[in-house]
Amino acid sequence: MSVEINIPPVLQAIINGARRINTNGATIGECVEDMVQQYPVLKPKLYDKHRKLRKGTSIFLNGVDMYPNPLSKLVKDGDKIHIANIILGG
Amino acid sequence: MTTNTGRVLRINLSSGKVSTETVPEGIARDFIGGRGYGVKYLYDEVTPDTEPLSEKNKLFLVAGPLAGTMAQAVSRWIVCTKSPLTGAFARSVCGADFGAWMRFTDYEIIVIEGKAAKPSYIHITTDSVKVLDAHDVWGKDTKETQSWFVSQHGSNTRAACIGPAGENLVRYAAVVSDRRTAGRCGTGAVMGSKNLKAVVITAARALHIADPDAYNTFAKEQVNIMKNDGGFQSHKEWGTTSTQDITNAIGIYPVRNFRYGQQIGWQKIVGAEYRKLRVGDMGCYSCPARCGKVHTVTSGIYKGAHSEGPEYESIWAFTGTIDSDSIEASIAADELCDDLGLDTISTGNTIGFAYELYEKGLVTKSDTDGLELVFGKNEPMVALIKKIAVRQGIGDLLAEGTMRIAKKLDKGSDVYAIHVKGLELPAYDPRGAKSQGYNYATASVGANHCYGYSAQDIFGAPFPRATDRFDEDNADIVIYNQNDTATNECGVICAFAARWGWSALYGKLLAAARGIKVYEDESYLAKAGDRVYNLERAFNIRQGLGRKDDYLPERIRTEPLHTREAQGEGQTVSHSDEFLDKYYSLRGWSKEGIPTEAKLKELNLAYVSKDINK
Repeated sequence: MSVEINIPPVLQAIINGARRINTNGATIGECVEDMVQQYPVLKPKLYDKHRKLRKGTSIFLNGVDMYPNPLSKLVKDGDKIHIANIILGG
Repeated sequence: MTTNTGRVLRINLSSGKVSTETVPEGIARDFIGGRGYGVKYLYDEVTPDTEPLSEKNKLFLVAGPLAGTMAQAVSRWIVCTKSPLTGAFARSVCGADFGAWMRFTDYEIIVIEGKAAKPSYIHITTDSVKVLDAHDVWGKDTKETQSWFVSQHGSNTRAACIGPAGENLVRYAAVVSDRRTAGRCGTGAVMGSKNLKAVVITAARALHIADPDAYNTFAKEQVNIMKNDGGFQSHKEWGTTSTQDITNAIGIYPVRNFRYGQQIGWQKIVGAEYRKLRVGDMGCYSCPARCGKVHTVTSGIYKGAHSEGPEYESIWAFTGTIDSDSIEASIAADELCDDLGLDTISTGNTIGFAYELYEKGLVTKSDTDGLELVFGKNEPMVALIKKIAVRQGIGDLLAEGTMRIAKKLDKGSDVYAIHVKGLELPAYDPRGAKSQGYNYATASVGANHCYGYSAQDIFGAPFPRATDRFDEDNADIVIYNQNDTATNECGVICAFAARWGWSALYGKLLAAARGIKVYEDESYLAKAGDRVYNLERAFNIRQGLGRKDDYLPERIRTEPLHTREAQGEGQTVSHSDEFLDKYYSLRGWSKEGIPTEAKLKELNLAYVSKDINK
C-alpha cells in the first residue's frame, strides 16, 4: 500500500529539503513509522517521550483533519497524508 | 425570541452630545458584527475628503456579539477608523478585558466623533456616560494611566487608552488596554488627535444575548472541545514565543531590513531561550490559553525590564530588524512600546529601515543625535523608541513611518522602505511564503500578517488545498484566507482559537447571541466575510487607492532573498501582475481592482457602486 506523506516546511529543513515521502502501511501510524525509519531525525520532532504525537502536530488524510487519534486511521493505496504544525503564528 | 442586534453609543467630543441607538436588523443580517459593523459604519459616516487626524475622522470601538460570555476566546474587540498611516481603511484588533466590559454595559459599538477642547477621557457605566478632564494622566504612560483610572473609578474598571505616542500623533501609535494593543494602522494617533486619552468603562458582569439557554449549551460544548485540542494545549504552553524557531529554519525570518531570511545565530533567540526568562502568563477575558507570556530580564543593562511579551512579531521587531540576538533588549523594547503606546511591528520595521539608511550614508550621526545605528547594536534601538514616542530629534522623522520618511529624505531611500500602502511589513518574508506575501499586498489595511494568514505556506496546512510556498499561482488561497479571517472577525473570535476544533459551533453561537438563525448556515457566514472584504475595498477605492497600491515593496520583487542555510535562496516575488489579474478576476473585480456592479449586487452592496464605478 503506497501512501505519500507531505512534509511541512520546518521538517523539510532537516531532511535535505524533501517535500514528499513515499511510505507503506495500513494505517496513518504505520505510514508515519515507515517515514521515521527512512528519516530517523524526524522521530523526536513528531513524537514526545511517550511515543505520542507532539501537541499541535496535525495530520490530514486527503485534506481532512484526522483529529482525534489520527495514527489509528486506516489508509488505502494512493492516499495522501499531510503533516502540519498549525500551532503557532502571531 | 427577540433579536439583539447590538447597541451603539455615540459621543461627540466637540459638542459634548451623547446618544444611543440600536443597530438596524438589516445591517446585523448583512454584517453580523465586529469588523463587519466597523466597516459598515465607517463607510457610511467617514467621507473621502476626511483627513485622518482631523476632527472629522471618527473612531469606532467595536466588541463582538459573543464578548463577555462564558464562551472562550471570543471577547476581543476592534478599532476601525481611517488610518493616518495609509489613508485607507484601518482595522486593529485588541485583546484583554475591554471587549467584555463593553458588552457588560450593553454597548457593541462606541463611536467617537469630533475633538475635545482639552485632554479628556470618556467614562462609561451602565447608566451614565461622561466626558471628564484627563489632565492628571496626559503625558503618562499606559501603565500609570490605567492604574490612575482604577484608583478613580474602582477595580471593576477597564480602559482603552493611549500613551505619549498617541498624544504626539505618532502615525503608528497604538490603543492599549491592559498590556494588549490595537497596534496597527495608527489608531492611537487618531485617538490622540481628538484630545482623548482613554475610553474607560466601569461595569459588573452582565449578559446581553438573545437566547441564553441555547447559547450556554453551545458554549459548554465549545469549552469541552477546546480544552482537548492539541493546538490549544500547545498555544497554552508557548503562545507565539517559538514561531521564530520555524521561520528561521525555513528562511522567512526577515533580517537587516528584509535582506536575509535567516538570522545568524538564531538559536540564541529560540522559544526555549525566552522561556528561561518567563515569569508568568496572561490572557484575555474568558480564555484559558493565557498565551501572553510574561518575561523579566534578570541581568545586564536591561535588568528589571518586564513585559507581557514579546510575542512572535515583537520578538522579530526587536531582533531580526536590526540583527540583534539580545532577548533582553527585545523584552525591554517590547515593554517600552506597550508603555508608550506604539505598534511594535511598525516601530521595529521603521528602526530597521533607519539602520539601513545609516549604513548607506543616507542619514548620519549628525541626524541621529549621535546614535550609531549599526546593525547588531541594540542600545540605539531602545533609545530610538523613546525618541519616536515624543518626536524628539530623529524621532520626529521616524514617527512618520517608512513611506513618509522615504518621501521626505528622497535620495533613493524609497527602495529600503518596506511597506504596503504605508503600513510596514511584519515578520514573514514574502519571498519564502508567497501567499502570505500576496496577502500583505492585497490586504485592505496594508501589510498585515493577520489579514489572511497563510498557514498553508508556513505550517503546511492542506486546507482548502496544500500549497508550494514558492509558487505564486495562489490567488485562490489568498482569497480563502482573507475571507475566512473576515468572517471570524465579524464575531471577533481569536484567530488562534478559531483553529481549535470548534468552528462548527461558531455560527450557532452567533445565532443564539443575536437571535438571527440564518447565521447557522456556514455558506451565509462565508458570504458575509466576502461582503465585508468588498466593502473595505470599496472604502479604499473611494479614497483613490487601487491596483497601483497592491504591489509588494521593490526589494521584495527584485532583490533575491538570502536564506543562508535554509531553502529558498534567491527567491523573489516576480509575478505580481499575473497574480493581481487572477486575484481580481476570482474576486469579481475589474482589471483595476474595482468591485464590479455584478459583484456588488451579489453581495447586497449595490448602493456602493455609484461611489466607485464612475
